[in-house]
Amino acid sequence: MIQITALHKYYGSVHALDGLDMTVEAGTVYGFLGPNGAGKTTALRILTGLARPTAGRASVAGVDLVADGRVLSRRVGYLPEEPAFYPWMTPSELLDHLGRLHGLSSAERSRQTRELLDLVHMAEAGKRRIGGFSRGMRQRLGLAAALVHNPEVLLLDEPVSALDPLGRKEILDLIEDLRDQCTVLMSSHILADVERVCGVVGIIARGRMIIQSPREKLMESYARPAFEFETVDAASALRWADWLKVQPWAAAVRLEKVVVRITVNDIARARQELLASAVAQEIPLRRFEEVRPSLEDIFLQLTDRETTL
Amino acid sequence: MNFFIVLRKELMEQWRTKRLLVILAVMAIFGLISPLLAKLTPDLLKSIPDMPAGLADLIPEPTLTDAVLQYVKNLEQFGILLALLMSMGSVAQEKERGTAAMMLTHPLSRAAFLLAKFAALAVTFTLSLTVAALACWYYTLLLFEALPWDSFLALNGLMLVGFFVYIAATILCSTLVRSQGAAAGLAFGALVLIAGIGSLPRIGTYFPGQLFNWGVGLALGAADPAWPALWVSLGLIVTFLGIAWLVFRRQEL
Amino acid sequence: MPFADFQQYIPFLIPVVIIQLILMIAALVDLLRREKTRGPKWLWALIIVLVNYIGPIIYFVAGRQDA
Repeated sequence: MIQITALHKYYGSVHALDGLDMTVEAGTVYGFLGPNGAGKTTALRILTGLARPTAGRASVAGVDLVADGRVLSRRVGYLPEEPAFYPWMTPSELLDHLGRLHGLSSAERSRQTRELLDLVHMAEAGKRRIGGFSRGMRQRLGLAAALVHNPEVLLLDEPVSALDPLGRKEILDLIEDLRDQCTVLMSSHILADVERVCGVVGIIARGRMIIQSPREKLMESYARPAFEFETVDAASALRWADWLKVQPWAAAVRLEKVVVRITVNDIARARQELLASAVAQEIPLRRFEEVRPSLEDIFLQLTDRETTL
Repeated sequence: MNFFIVLRKELMEQWRTKRLLVILAVMAIFGLISPLLAKLTPDLLKSIPDMPAGLADLIPEPTLTDAVLQYVKNLEQFGILLALLMSMGSVAQEKERGTAAMMLTHPLSRAAFLLAKFAALAVTFTLSLTVAALACWYYTLLLFEALPWDSFLALNGLMLVGFFVYIAATILCSTLVRSQGAAAGLAFGALVLIAGIGSLPRIGTYFPGQLFNWGVGLALGAADPAWPALWVSLGLIVTFLGIAWLVFRRQEL
Repeated sequence: MPFADFQQYIPFLIPVVIIQLILMIAALVDLLRREKTRGPKWLWALIIVLVNYIGPIIYFVAGRQDA
């Protein structure tokens, strides 16, 4: 659906994009991850036609970007990081206006306006001036505005980063619901959000793609299983950590006061021996947990490697 | 066509942000008070106490000419000022706020975006000047005598073309820069430049300022046509908007 | 010229005063409904009411600030 090849974008001497390659298959929710300033917004702006690449190629739904921007805008919906509106308009008027631009009939527009306002929980605010809206309301309205024409591709730039936990959950739920309707490309520097909704993850740093893979596969190949213990006193934690370090199935042991975190090579053996050894050595445990490998571990691992190269 | 959709939005904006009201009110008031001032000024001067008797007799009786001169002088000044104030934010503010980027990711060409800005301001100014002209014509009729309606219409048409030049110039300035303040400064510079060149002896006859003089002549039946100034003005409007489009087309938002 | 002569022109000023009032009311309504202005609200209210004719216009051009 989206194909980017060797995309470069220079702002003076700053290389915002430095040969970015990316493929987004139709029907996926693609999480575009990277630290701030990695080039995520630049890539999205090029995909919407707001910025022009210095070099390289990009196409959406088979349409070459540089060639025809107008065809594209009918098929792509875009939610910028900070959506901006005319303060004197109301949400209903905005959606109606956008519907007109997309050539919807009067009946289609009023239906679409009603449905979208319901979707983003703004039905009761539909007739109020946008001027006084909060950040969260703008974000939701921005999402509605991006969906007016039922686009095939939806580009979301940090859709939840500026929101509080509740607002964040609402938007992520909405994005999850959109999965069946369109291809979603969502940028974020917050891993937990991407982990929740995205089937495919691409990690970008300094304008280049580091890795691109289905989320599950990425987890399997990069994240090692881990366990976390909390002991009652620091002395026994230290004693046990020393013993664990030399076991053949242990990959790494990290000790933080009373908490021991151990990543293992052999999960089956670890499950058997960990608790047994705790009992044998009389370690007083307060908590024992098998920790799910997180995208954060992988992300840090990969971006670390990239920066030390 | 999408041009008319944006034009509808622009006109709504003029109305909601009270820009239409301000332009209409300012022009209407000057339409009303210009003939009134022309009528009263000599009387006011004469009423100054201790005016030497001989001097008071030298003050001429007000005429139709004074009414038309007042009208053109006031509307030229304030019309141009309004053209600048009301157009300076047109593009710059949308870039500053991010609304331009928002709208242009929907099917809307940048040419239509710009042209709708100009068209909406043109509609507002036309409407306002029409009201001002009617007001002035009616008060002149009451206070002096009837103005020939056809040449008075021509005078207002020429003034309108003059305003359009300044609107187009300000939209261009607004397109060139990113902030409203910078646009205002640049537009003011352009205004001074156009007025400055317009006041030079020979070249001045080709500049928009000449339209106002021609209009006065027309309305008073002493036509001194300045066709070149009209062609140059129309050319300037097209040129300013054309350059604005060429620049805006390449801008990253 | 005696004052009586001026008096006959007073009716001519009525439309001007009406337009002025419309502008003033529009500006005041806008000010009351607005959350943010450039500078304190009470000051704008004074400018609109006391500065004849151009007060409301100054407010419309410079006083409003949109969130």
